[in-house]
Amino acid sequence: MQDFMLQRRQVFQGLIALSAVGGLSACGGAEAPVSGQVSGSAAPGYFNAQEMALIAAVAQTIIPQTETAGAVQAGVPKTLQDLATDWGNGEFQQYWRDGLVALGTALINEDGMTFVSMSPSEREMALSTYDSGVFAGTIPDGFYRDFKATVVQAYYMSEAGATEELAYEPVPGEWIGCVPLSEFPKTWAT
Amino acid sequence: MADFDVIVVGSGMSGGWVAKEMCEQGFKVAVIERGRKVTVEKDYTDFIDPWDTEHLNRKTDKHREEYPIQSNVYAFQSFTKQFWVKDNDHPYETADDTSFIWYRGYHEGGRSIMWGRQSYRMSEIDFEANARDGHGVDWPVRYDDIKPWYDYVERFAGISGSTEGLDILPDGVFQPPHDLTCAELDFKSAVEGNFPGRRVIPGRVANLTEPTQEQMELGRGRCQARNHCFQGCSFGAYFSSNSATLPAARRTENMTLISDTAVHKVIVDEETGRATGVETVDIASGERKVITARVVFLNAGTIPTTMILLNSANGDAPNGLANSSGMLGKNMMDHHSGARGTAILPGNLDRHTFGRRPNGFYIPRFRNHTEEAEGFVRGFGYQGGATRERWWTSMGKEGVGADFKAAGRTPGPWRIGMVAFGEVLPNEQNHVRMHPTKTDQWGFPVPVLDVRWGDNERNMVRQAIRDTRAMLEAAGGTNIETDDPETAEPAPPGIGIHEMGTARMGRDPSTSVLNSWNQSWDIPNLFVTDGSFMTSGGCQNPSLSYMAFSARAANHAAELMKEGAL
Repeated sequence: MQDFMLQRRQVFQGLIALSAVGGLSACGGAEAPVSGQVSGSAAPGYFNAQEMALIAAVAQTIIPQTETAGAVQAGVPKTLQDLATDWGNGEFQQYWRDGLVALGTALINEDGMTFVSMSPSEREMALSTYDSGVFAGTIPDGFYRDFKATVVQAYYMSEAGATEELAYEPVPGEWIGCVPLSEFPKTWAT
Repeated sequence: MADFDVIVVGSGMSGGWVAKEMCEQGFKVAVIERGRKVTVEKDYTDFIDPWDTEHLNRKTDKHREEYPIQSNVYAFQSFTKQFWVKDNDHPYETADDTSFIWYRGYHEGGRSIMWGRQSYRMSEIDFEANARDGHGVDWPVRYDDIKPWYDYVERFAGISGSTEGLDILPDGVFQPPHDLTCAELDFKSAVEGNFPGRRVIPGRVANLTEPTQEQMELGRGRCQARNHCFQGCSFGAYFSSNSATLPAARRTENMTLISDTAVHKVIVDEETGRATGVETVDIASGERKVITARVVFLNAGTIPTTMILLNSANGDAPNGLANSSGMLGKNMMDHHSGARGTAILPGNLDRHTFGRRPNGFYIPRFRNHTEEAEGFVRGFGYQGGATRERWWTSMGKEGVGADFKAAGRTPGPWRIGMVAFGEVLPNEQNHVRMHPTKTDQWGFPVPVLDVRWGDNERNMVRQAIRDTRAMLEAAGGTNIETDDPETAEPAPPGIGIHEMGTARMGRDPSTSVLNSWNQSWDIPNLFVTDGSFMTSGGCQNPSLSYMAFSARAANHAAELMKEGAL
């Protein structure tokens, strides 16, 4: 299937299109099976505490708290933990573990400071540079793209992301094809 | 004395209609359904919020293992898998160098729960098509024969649509249409201005926009614009057997729904030449039984109905029951898709939409009608939609921080997507047959599908892509994406989920399986009104035609039964 349009009818269906796009992030990665060790993990799950700290720091830098929840307040790190622990197979888990190790290393600054130990503004500066490099194609990091896509998806599918940051109407009641943006200024969550 | 007056095999789109009509005529009807009973409470998942879906609604390895085919359909989700068959339990094969994607669900209501609800009439042009260009055989009916039955089923089912006065796509009994979006209205102007003869109209869809008293009495309500119909609808707002025809049948107290029971064969009394009933298999226990009736309707779905008839071969009918013509299993059609396009449409950045429309726009066929075509006969229509891009585009965008977040909150540009559905020619080579040795766990022969698209389908898809590009360009579209019109191929057979034609109607018993009343030429008390009756396919979504022919055939059979002829 073409990635620009997966199948008929899907054109109209945001959430559904999503699951297919999100599925791409399961591709690639190393083939070695997983050791499964979770030493130092605060919560039970595949990712250890160190990995969870990096996930939270990067996710929150991509989507910070503003007048609405950021990625951490919306529960994104836990969603990713559950995804890796309960959904991902060994290949997926290893891909994420390797990817996080490489990302953590790549984000260490010139002074040897790790991303997690930076201040929020230092994090934003560091990640912004890295993100630009990835999207400009000068930094080859497919994992980061997958990571970011998953964070974004998890955020906008969360209750806070869908109902506070965006607009969500579980039962709209009617369809109106053309309304002023000023009356409905936010992106629909679904 | 038979157990029932009428047996209806299958409770889906067409079987529900036969059950309703026969029950309302006062006959005792057994609806035999191979799947389980469906309840709103247990099966519908239409109140799931995005954050309630497990693991971002991604399919699991187990889904792909148990549903290697079904898990690819758009309506298969982690919370809708109850509506799709486990492929491993229901094997089928395809002939060498062919493919066939068979999407299906075995449960009360069948695919009427998951269908796309697009509802279009076939026109006189469609009913004349075979006779005009010589493909297949002539339909034994014309539009005027079917028109009153389209009226009848539309009134009951509830179809939203606009009156357009087009000969290629006759108007019907409509509830109010869904608005086009602002961008679609501009697209419509551009297309209709640049290409006289082409029309962009609201899709016609089986969702209630203004329910009638009759519909409300059945517990059906207005469409709530949620657009996740395939999860089931607790409002009963779109037509399904479950929301409409089966409740209508049930309230007569004439219907017995026998679930978890598959029909293996139609049994025929070789002396009288009439069907006496069916042999069934209990899905759980494997126990075999015979259920008898005066009249048998097959509505199991095109492939299962064909397999039942092939499997019912007897001494007088060694090649399958009702198959003296040799046409049973042949002329398999679908609608070929594959001509897809998308673009960004300019303007309207101060406009938005409200609600989620379970529908889109439709462009009726214009090739070989208002415009000529090279390299193919018949034609195609388009379905599409244009709405503002939403947050998922952020998944692949550059940026971090508050600005990135703000960009996700703002609706993106208007994105149009459209896909053509094209007519497939009836061709005897395209067929389903029984595997000579393999059976499934219930002892049913495994179907073998042998279907290939030909030059007509290929040339049509390529023209549809060229026409897509031209219309997107005329509307000022940017970032236009389509397949290459020089090399594109139609999507594989089955992907249209409109398999049909393997027990065609006709005027001549030597070249068709059914007469003009969907009645077997060979076995007068045997009727087939699922998609297998289709003599040609048009390019319209076919369910509305299945409904109309089912209601018509049931009422005809009822008359014959009352006269004592059956």
